[in-house]
Amino acid sequence: MNNSIISVSNLIKSYKDIVAVDGISFNAYKGEILGILGPNGSGKTTTLKSILGLILFDSGDIHVSGMDVKKDHLKILRNTGAVLEGARNIYWHLSPEENLKYFAGLRGLSHSYIKERMNTLLHELELADVRKKEIREFSKGMKQKVALACAFIHDPDILLLDEPTLGLDVEISRVMRNWLKEVVQKSGKSILVTSHDMDFIESVCDRVLIIKEGRILSHETLQSLKMKFSIKVFNLDIATNPDQDSIRRIEELGELTVENTDNSCRLIILLKNAMLIYDLLEILRSANLEITDFSTVESDLEDIFLNVIKDEPE
Amino acid sequence: MSILNVFIVEVRMLGWELKRYLFNTGAMVVVMYIIFLGMFWGAKSIAGAGINQSSLDSMVIGYVLWMSAMFSLQGTGSVVLSESQRGTLEQIYLSPYGADIIFFFKAVTNTLFNFVILTLMLYLTMLTTGRVLSVNLLYFYLILFVSVLSLNGIGFMLGGVGLIHKRIGAVNGILSFGLIGLMLLRVYPLTSFSFLPFIAGAHTINAHIVHGTSFPLWWYLFVIGNSLFYLFIGLAIFRLFEKKAKRLNKMGQY
Repeated sequence: MNNSIISVSNLIKSYKDIVAVDGISFNAYKGEILGILGPNGSGKTTTLKSILGLILFDSGDIHVSGMDVKKDHLKILRNTGAVLEGARNIYWHLSPEENLKYFAGLRGLSHSYIKERMNTLLHELELADVRKKEIREFSKGMKQKVALACAFIHDPDILLLDEPTLGLDVEISRVMRNWLKEVVQKSGKSILVTSHDMDFIESVCDRVLIIKEGRILSHETLQSLKMKFSIKVFNLDIATNPDQDSIRRIEELGELTVENTDNSCRLIILLKNAMLIYDLLEILRSANLEITDFSTVESDLEDIFLNVIKDEPE
Repeated sequence: MSILNVFIVEVRMLGWELKRYLFNTGAMVVVMYIIFLGMFWGAKSIAGAGINQSSLDSMVIGYVLWMSAMFSLQGTGSVVLSESQRGTLEQIYLSPYGADIIFFFKAVTNTLFNFVILTLMLYLTMLTTGRVLSVNLLYFYLILFVSVLSLNGIGFMLGGVGLIHKRIGAVNGILSFGLIGLMLLRVYPLTSFSFLPFIAGAHTINAHIVHGTSFPLWWYLFVIGNSLFYLFIGLAIFRLFEKKAKRLNKMGQY
């Protein structure tokens, strides 16, 4: 794709007999946040590190801003930032200011630019008050924010984040997600992020890639992912208990739980497919079962993720 | 993007670290000062008042040479390991300058810092004891700087091994102490030992400063060539290990 800022094509990487990444292909576009979800060992980090040239892959192609990772690795790094080991990516015996100056120096930035950019980042990430304190004294979340600032000191168009909210408290996670969304909206950056934090992915990502055992299981926008893989749970309260024949027919549509009360009955049905709701209603109508209450339970990204992973044959 | 930026930022990093670990820096200076004083007074008390100026000069020069050699030898290897332990190694590898350039300037910065400290110690000791060493410092440090480049090359090799195996302390120790013996060898005119790293330079400094030996131009060119050879071989081997570490995904592991 011509307008893609990162293009991964048929990426394969194995360690001895273990295939870590097995023919992954995807594109990331300008101005979007692409999330990568997957169980441990699914190949998320290997994919990120391959894009950064930190891992030599066996075969396939990776292009970043039109440049080949294998040939132009150092040129690509001029416009790319990454946080790979979270809080460990920075020097704890230095202050945020010193860390920012050091990593800016390693990017070849000018003194005047560093000063201005550093002040902006420290304010935006709420680190200005602690800019001269030793990082060792900080909480994990604060350290993580400094690591993010360091990765962003050269204002790269592309940012790669590996588990950015791992072990963070709710407040710092909120600051981080708001900041990332703002950065993408304001300046059209592209962010590739791996995470186990479903809330984080759901709140910041435009598209989600679900991978397992080095292969892509799903590659959708969040909206279409929800439409495709959402689990539909329906709660129906009916006036009388259904007969055995009706129960058997309903069970053919999905997983059924029946909760009896004194004079009514609640059917909790997890349908195999949302369209089967019409068949369910037909069964209830033909058995003369009156519906007194009806509700649905929306599945969140975690349910969808587990559904996608579960459906994949081993 | 001038590579001079890397040198400047490494000097600043060294400054921040010295300031942050002020107690450690102070203790290091005091210990080195005590060692220098010990050498002056110790030699005098062991050998008596008859100890001549050149023996004392030779001893002090030998010590400075060995200290500089040790720092340079362990430079890149210990930097790679400490960055790996901290978790910052991969960030170094995300610099568009390339990690080898950064490690090289880290080694050069540390070498120059050690030169400053050792010179300070020399003068402080001369002030304290009232004895003056007849050392041409410009000649001394010029040859020493060129010579330790070869050990930086060996440091790169060890750094490469460190990327894969993570622990190289034992090898570092063996090489550092092996150097003491090798530095005593006579390598001029050319012998097979002349081709070892650092030894030709160390011999040149000792022989010229302590005994006033003069060397022809070809010998100085040989010392420079020897150093550059080991530096580039070290860099090439480092890059081979680096490739292997990237193939095995060892960069971020410790």
